[in-house]
Amino acid sequence: MALRMWASSTANALRLSSSSSSSRFAPAFSLSRTFSTVLEGFKYATSHEWVKHDGSIATIGITDHAQDHLGEVVFVELPDGGKAVEQASSFGAVESVKATSDINSPISGEVVEVNTKLTESPGLINSSPYEDGWMIKVKPSNPSELESLMGPKEYTKFCEDEDASH
Amino acid sequence: MRVPRTIEIRKMGNLFNYSDALKLQEKLASDRKMNKITDTLLSLQHPPTYTLGKRRTDHNILVPECELKSMGAELHYTQRGGDVTFHGPRQAILYPIISLREFGLGARKYVENLELTMIELASLYGVKASVGRKCETGVWVGERKIGAIGVRISSGITSHGLAFNIDPDLSYFKHIVPCGIADKEVTSLQREVKQEVLLPSDELIQDQLISCFAKIFGYTNVVSRNNS
Repeated sequence: MALRMWASSTANALRLSSSSSSSRFAPAFSLSRTFSTVLEGFKYATSHEWVKHDGSIATIGITDHAQDHLGEVVFVELPDGGKAVEQASSFGAVESVKATSDINSPISGEVVEVNTKLTESPGLINSSPYEDGWMIKVKPSNPSELESLMGPKEYTKFCEDEDASH
Repeated sequence: MRVPRTIEIRKMGNLFNYSDALKLQEKLASDRKMNKITDTLLSLQHPPTYTLGKRRTDHNILVPECELKSMGAELHYTQRGGDVTFHGPRQAILYPIISLREFGLGARKYVENLELTMIELASLYGVKASVGRKCETGVWVGERKIGAIGVRISSGITSHGLAFNIDPDLSYFKHIVPCGIADKEVTSLQREVKQEVLLPSDELIQDQLISCFAKIFGYTNVVSRNNS
């Protein structure tokens, strides 16, 4: 616990991923598999999706913590481009170990791009949840919704609390 | 320190229609999401029914739908994970409608607990069951499958669940590739116990399954509500 707090504050102090224009983020910290990676510059929903708002487009996927709790993803169901998504409502689903889990959108908007690679390689969600495993790109209809989401520190704490309630 | 957890058991009888079960689960899942009800466990058996998961793997049904109907079986498409499976009389079903978030459980751990529930039940009868190899979820006795799992998780609330073969007519499984895994046999508790062992009533076995479930998931308070 102390180590993780240290890692978290060090990552923040160093601002390892401070460049907001960069489309590819290096993990802020990744100590071991026990600790799920949480990235700077992303916003997080309580249902374990992330959103990265870049200019007029927001990219959405599920977090490292989420993929770890799901297990190996074998099937992904995504919406078509042009479809409207709504904050906290389901836009798709992932199937892992015989469980289909709905994926909620952290923000409202219109789907402008879908990661079609996931159809062939759903495992990208496990191996690269924040990069190659992104799910949809959305044109936000209400960017202020981003403020209701958690930052990395808050989300790390949220995951710890959730895991501790076992 | 353990927080007391309550689960309400609803016994729905042994000929509970699949569509009615789907509707009931949807209602309960929505009520659970809004915190109108506590965690709930449906215990039941279905009339002969084939079901497909979200991936709609029709190719794993080996006979035309009309033939299934003439055998007196229904076919249903569902939103759960997993491949085609069969449900029917003398197969124990549990459909847990529980909030995984309050448990801090992920999908993987949840499915593992469902597997452990069936392994525990089998062990009560001296049958050594175990989890499948990678990509083979469910519960196995050697190379033979005794229990199946298919789960849906929506907003952290579970539906669908597990099916454990007490002594169903196993010939129904010949018309499908169960769970999409070819070359694997399906078995039952009756087939795996020593032949001289007489199984108790299905009702008692289902009660034992409920107890195994409550124990594995750490429910301290199990309340019954009889609907049947």
